[in-house]
Amino acid sequence: MQYQLKTRQVCLFFIAFLPLAKLFMMPSVMAGKANEDMWMCALINLALDFLTAFIILKTTSKTDKNVYQLLEGKVGKGGTKFIMCLFFVYFLLKSLLPINEQKEYVIRTLYTLTPTLLYFLPFFFVCFYFCTKPLRVIGRASDVLWLITSLGIIILLCLSIGNFELSALLPVGANGIANVIEGSYATLTWFGDGLYLLFFMGEFSYRKKDNLKILGCYLLGALAVMVFVIVFYCVFTSIAFRQRFALTEISKYSTVINNIGRFDYIGIMMILFSNIFALSIPLFFSAKILSYIFSIKKKWVSPLIVVLFHAFVIIFLYQRIHGIEVFIMKFTGWFFLLTANILPIIICLTAKKEKGYAIKEN
Amino acid sequence: MKIFPNLKDNEKLLKQRLTSEDVTFLPINLGETKATIIFINDIVNKDSIGDLVLRPAYKLEGRLSFKEISNCFLFPEKVEIYTIKKVCDDVLLGNAVLIVDQSTTALSFGLKQFEKRAITEPPTSTVLKGPREGFVESLPVNISLMRRRLKSEHLIFENVTVGKYSKTPIALCYVDGIADKSLVKKLKGKLENISIDAVLDSSYISKYLGEHDISIFKQVGNTEKPDILAAKILEGRVAIFVDGSPIALTVPYLLIEDFQSPSDYYNSPYSATVARLLRFFSVLLALFLPAFFVASELFHLQLIPLSFLLTIVNSIKGIPLSPSYEMFFTIMIFEILNEASVRMPKYVGMVVSIVGGLVLGETAVNAGIISAPTLMIVALSGICLYTVPELEQTFSVLRILFLVVAGSLGGYGILVAIAIFFVHLITFENYNAPLCAPFSPLIKEDMKDAFYKGFLSELQFRPKSLRNKNKRRIDFDEYSKGE
Repeated sequence: MQYQLKTRQVCLFFIAFLPLAKLFMMPSVMAGKANEDMWMCALINLALDFLTAFIILKTTSKTDKNVYQLLEGKVGKGGTKFIMCLFFVYFLLKSLLPINEQKEYVIRTLYTLTPTLLYFLPFFFVCFYFCTKPLRVIGRASDVLWLITSLGIIILLCLSIGNFELSALLPVGANGIANVIEGSYATLTWFGDGLYLLFFMGEFSYRKKDNLKILGCYLLGALAVMVFVIVFYCVFTSIAFRQRFALTEISKYSTVINNIGRFDYIGIMMILFSNIFALSIPLFFSAKILSYIFSIKKKWVSPLIVVLFHAFVIIFLYQRIHGIEVFIMKFTGWFFLLTANILPIIICLTAKKEKGYAIKEN
Repeated sequence: MKIFPNLKDNEKLLKQRLTSEDVTFLPINLGETKATIIFINDIVNKDSIGDLVLRPAYKLEGRLSFKEISNCFLFPEKVEIYTIKKVCDDVLLGNAVLIVDQSTTALSFGLKQFEKRAITEPPTSTVLKGPREGFVESLPVNISLMRRRLKSEHLIFENVTVGKYSKTPIALCYVDGIADKSLVKKLKGKLENISIDAVLDSSYISKYLGEHDISIFKQVGNTEKPDILAAKILEGRVAIFVDGSPIALTVPYLLIEDFQSPSDYYNSPYSATVARLLRFFSVLLALFLPAFFVASELFHLQLIPLSFLLTIVNSIKGIPLSPSYEMFFTIMIFEILNEASVRMPKYVGMVVSIVGGLVLGETAVNAGIISAPTLMIVALSGICLYTVPELEQTFSVLRILFLVVAGSLGGYGILVAIAIFFVHLITFENYNAPLCAPFSPLIKEDMKDAFYKGFLSELQFRPKSLRNKNKRRIDFDEYSKGE
């Protein structure tokens, strides 16, 4: 059987893409809700995704089927299409906020002299091109981008060394559990990475102990997020919620920047480059799901629809985007929780071991 | 059409087909039997015709059968042919063909003798250490160069003729037991299906061998050196020789090949690794330095350190062109000089460098047409481009493309343009070999000959990026047993 992905690529996927979208607006949103307990918000969401990933991997070890085949065997073609509709909406909504914040970041931070939406529009070309490719493009991109993402984060974290005070996190739990949960709920749109494993199911050759490797890499990605979030709060403490784009702000007190120049832009450019792909991944899956639901054979039709939808929202609802942002953070959390965590867990827990299927030895 | 038994009929028909004045019909007597030798004057070895054909022919007596006539020519390259078309083809190839009265079979003698160039070091891949031989335009000489290096019964050559008018002999070369047979079959099929007037160089063929119609990147590798080709076919590739071309093609092609210089394998792994890293870094500089400089000047001034920014501001004072036009103009001058220096006779080349480098460059800066930093960046980028000469043409197109993007969309535009090429590159495959291997997909084993050049003892296995058979190429267990 010809697999689209390798286990190594699934592992590197989490290092390359898990931290990316979480480095822009998310830390300040969390800080706004839970102040010094913001790291707990991140921890709760990451733990939830870890649990989802763990259960999906358990199911992956029982079957060689992909998610479509698995669901068709259980709820029939119609039922599968219904469930896929939910995932389609999820992926479509999931990428909306991160794409908008990337646009805001690019326009407001990189093009300070001439900020216009025009400079961000080419993003949709690459997004469309990426979505027309088969699943192996994600694996192959992970093979290279894990290094670029890691280097970018390391550069930014190194630049902020000496500017943060860890004691700013104390006292732990001072903001109360309600604020922490509110912070977690509002930022669910940036998480849900465990769900990707459901779509990788049956697309790579699962061998014994692969779950340890994959979950280990998931933890590495999660660790990068936690460190970033903690360092961010410790640099800015009580004014952290005002720093809209953590990526640029985290290293702004660095002496290197003052003495040599904007050294941080090397790291920022690396992260921006990887983020182009990280933002395209939810659209990639929504395009694939759309093709499945309507049995679209031409490989460019679904990507075009999905990308045009996003381009439309970004370009024509430019004035209302803040309202959409607030709506997603306030009212769609339950939907994200349902589709990214509860639904995959239910699908996986009800899956039975395939007859005659045995995990391959390493 | 089969050969007639009557010599006159054959001659008449052949004279109708081979009308050129350099075709000679030489009548001879083989004892009491009449015959004619047909050949093209300037491309056969006439001494050999005299010694190996005419001399034994005049010693014959009486009425002889075709078999007796054939047996009297002790010539190694002697082939029996039966059709008029084959007679014509063989004559045009440079062989001499003997047609005999009362026989429906002719004899073809491999007597072709073309003028050929001496074996010299190819100008495109010179080395300080290592073999200096290069392929020439003669297919038999190139085959002999390969045979000299790989004296194995597993070294196989398969012949195909391509070209309606040129009838160019093409040879596929591979090592049986290492190369993928299905690849050889596929390539042979592709070559046999080519319908073209003439194949004047191997580059004519390379266009047909690519699996994608449009791509800015190469799809077929090439080399002019037998030592490199031997190494490549021992990795599982298939080589294609074209008569009349000193460049052998190799399939499948990986992008990393062009970053691997022949000298890497003849020097110490340490210096080879440093040289490779320099090559990768140089290519990045060549491609992106002009683009990022223009983007910084136009859109992201905050990226430039203050002291350098002041230098730039001073140098661009009074320059009439905008940064992107200025860079574009300077790169165009560089490309024109490059093109001129390649085409001009060697003795004028010196003048071009003086006029181009000193007069144009220096004066343009002094006259305030271009700024000194721009000139320096173009010069650096141009030099860096030649660290990987095989990809120079592709990269110079990409450099201009990135520059246009930088001038119109700035830094983020460059990132997006890189992302588009990145997606294209990582998903690009030719004959099942991913172009960007061993980086994407990441192949740990093959990384020992990528950024880092491993010791010979580390390169025990053939590259996994290529679908080859017989994976092991160095057996250290056998070696230690011998000790």
